[in-house]
Amino acid sequence: MSSPFSINGGACVAMRGKNCVAIACDLRLGLQSLTVSNNFPKIFQYSPTAFLGLTGLATDVSTVSELFRYKVNMYRLREERDIAPKTFAQLVSSSLYERRFGPWFVSPVVAGIDGKSGAPFICGFDSIGCIDYAADFIVSGTASDQLFGTCEGLWEPDLEPDDLFETISQALLNAVDRDALSGWGAHVYIIEKDKVTKRLLKGRQD
Amino acid sequence: MEVLLGITGKDFCIVAASKAAMRGASILKANDDKTRTLNKNTLMAFSGEPGDTVQFAEYIQANIQLYSMRNSSDLSPFEVSSFVRAELAKSLRSRSPYTVNLLLGGYDSIKQKPELYWIDYLASSAPVPYAAHGYAQYYCLSILDKHHHPDISFEQGMKILRMCTDELKRRLPIDFKGVNVKIIDKDGIREEPYSDDKQVYAP
Amino acid sequence: MAALSHHHLSSTAPFAFQQAPPQNHSGEPTQHAFYPYTDNGGSTLGISGKTFTVIAGDTRSTSGYNINTRYAPKLYPIGGQGPTHKGSKIVLSVVGFAADGRALQERLDTVVKMYRYQHGCEISVKACAQRLSHILYNKRFFPYYVQAILGGIDEETGEGALYSYDPVGSYEREYCRAAGAAASLIMPFLDNQVNLKNQYEPAAVSGFDKKQLVPQPLERPQVEELVRDAFTSAVERHIEVGDGLQMMFITKEGIEEVYFPLKKD
Repeated sequence: MSSPFSINGGACVAMRGKNCVAIACDLRLGLQSLTVSNNFPKIFQYSPTAFLGLTGLATDVSTVSELFRYKVNMYRLREERDIAPKTFAQLVSSSLYERRFGPWFVSPVVAGIDGKSGAPFICGFDSIGCIDYAADFIVSGTASDQLFGTCEGLWEPDLEPDDLFETISQALLNAVDRDALSGWGAHVYIIEKDKVTKRLLKGRQD
Repeated sequence: MEVLLGITGKDFCIVAASKAAMRGASILKANDDKTRTLNKNTLMAFSGEPGDTVQFAEYIQANIQLYSMRNSSDLSPFEVSSFVRAELAKSLRSRSPYTVNLLLGGYDSIKQKPELYWIDYLASSAPVPYAAHGYAQYYCLSILDKHHHPDISFEQGMKILRMCTDELKRRLPIDFKGVNVKIIDKDGIREEPYSDDKQVYAP
Repeated sequence: MAALSHHHLSSTAPFAFQQAPPQNHSGEPTQHAFYPYTDNGGSTLGISGKTFTVIAGDTRSTSGYNINTRYAPKLYPIGGQGPTHKGSKIVLSVVGFAADGRALQERLDTVVKMYRYQHGCEISVKACAQRLSHILYNKRFFPYYVQAILGGIDEETGEGALYSYDPVGSYEREYCRAAGAAASLIMPFLDNQVNLKNQYEPAAVSGFDKKQLVPQPLERPQVEELVRDAFTSAVERHIEVGDGLQMMFITKEGIEEVYFPLKKD
C-alpha cells in the first residue's frame, strides 16, 4: 500500500494491431483510497506517431514526462527530424537506467508507428529501464494483473483500427473496474501510419 | 488539523485557509495567514511541516516576483504551477525535502478562466475545479462533489464554501479558528470578509 | 552440518538423547516458528447457466516455485455415495491451502450425508450453501485458508446455483466468480463476457440514452469455451496456474466431468 508505485494508482495498456497500434490509460489520481482528481491523463505524445504511457508515482509521471519532452525537443533540434518509436524506447531505457540506484517510480509503456516503414511498435519497461518488447500487448499500473487477464482473453492478432479500439477499450475498462485505485474514465489513442484518433471514454465513475 | 480549501467558478477562484497556527495540542495564534500572493493573479495557500511552509512559500513568492520584475509580465497560473511543482519535485529527492501541501489559485487573464492546482508534498500536481488538503478533504470533497458546477456564480461559490466550513466546524475535534478567504478574479486578488460568529453544533 | 558432526566426533558422542537448544551466533536460542498455512496456488471459477452450473479448476499444486503435482483436483462432488460420489449434485471447489481445502471438503461431505440420514432426503443447494458458511465461520479465529465456490442446481427454479465464499464464511449467490491465484486476471474477463459489463446496445453507445446489454443465461458450449479461454489466458500469465483443467458440469441429471490439458510449463 505504501509502495510508491501504488500511492496514486492508475493503469495503462498498449496493443498492436494490423498496421496500427493503440495505447490507453485511465484518468484517476488518488492519494491512497482518496480520489483527488478524475482528470489526470497518463499518456504523452512525443512525435506524430510516438506515444508514452506512464503509471506509478504521480510526481514522477509529471517529472519524467517533462524530462522526455525536453530530451525529445533537443533530439528534434539536433537531428531535424521526429524521433522514431524504437529510438524513443532506447532513450527511455537509458534515461531510466541513469537513475539505477534511485529510480523514478514509473512503469512506462511506449507505443508508436515507425514514420518510414510504417511498422507498428510497442514495448514496456521496468522502473530502471529494462525493455520488454512484445508482439501483442503491454500493460502497466495498479490494474496490471487485471489487464493481463482481459488482454490475454480479448486480444487477437491483426486487428483493424476500429476493432483494436474496441478491444483495448474493453480490456482497459473491465480491468480498471476490478481495481479500486484505477478508473474514472479513460483516454484511448488509435495510431495509424498518418492518422491518430484520440477518444475519451467515460467509464464507471466510482 | 490545518484546513485548505479551493473552489473555482465561472469567473473567480476562492481560496480559504484556516486561521489557527498550531503546535502540538496548543493553538499559538488565531489569525494566521497561510497564503502568499505570488503575482497579480496567482495566490498560493500552504500547509504542512511548520517552518517548511513559510520558508518554501516565501522562496516561491520571491522567485515569482523576481520573474515579474525582470520580464515586466506575470507568469500565468499554469506557468506558476509548473515552476512550483518543479521546485517541490527537486526538493523531494534532496537531503531535506520540504513537507508542504499547496493549493494554487489563479485567474488566467488571457484564457479568461479561473484555475486551481492541487499540489501535495510529493509534488503531485493536478488542475482541479475544487480542492482541499488535510482532513478537510474527507469532509469537504463530498460536499463539493454534490454542489459544485463549473458555471457557479461568486455568491453560489461562497454559499458552498460556507457549507464546507460549517461541516468542518461540526466535525473537526479541534477548533481551527475560522478561515481567511481570498478571491482571485479578473481584477486581481482580494480578501473577502468572512464571518465566523455563527455557532455550529454537531448533531 | 558436516562441520558440526565432526566437532561432535572429536569431543563427545555423535548422538545425544538430550540435545541443547540450537543457538545462533549471538548466543541466544534460535526460535523456530511453525506456520500452519501454505499457499498451494491454482485457480478456480464457476459460472451458472439456465439449466446447469459449471465449476472449473486447474490441477496444478505448487509450493513456492515448486510444483508438487500436476494432477491435484480442486473440485469435489459433495454428498455422493461411494468412491465415485454417485448421485451427487453439488460440487465444492476450494483454492488456497490444499490441506484446509480437503478438510473442509470432508466436513461438508459428512454434513451433507448426515443430513440425508437424518431427513431422508437430499439437502438443497441453498441449505448446503448456508451450512458451508457456518462451517467456515465456526473457525473464525483459525480459518480454513481457502476461497470456496459451491455449485449446484436450485431445486425451486431448476436453474444453476452458484455460491462464493471468503475464508471466514461471508457468502453470496452469483452468476459467475473466479477465485485463487489468477482470480484478478480471470474475474474482469468474466465480468465482460458473462455479465456483459461495459457493453452497450449498439444503437446508442454514449450519452444518457445508452443501455447496458442485459446478461442472458449462456448455453453450455459457450460457457465451456469461456472457461477454456479464461484458463488458457491465466496459464499464459500466471506461473501457479497450469497443467490441466478440470470442469464439472452439474445438471439435474448429475455431474459430468471434463478434463482438458493445459500447458505444463
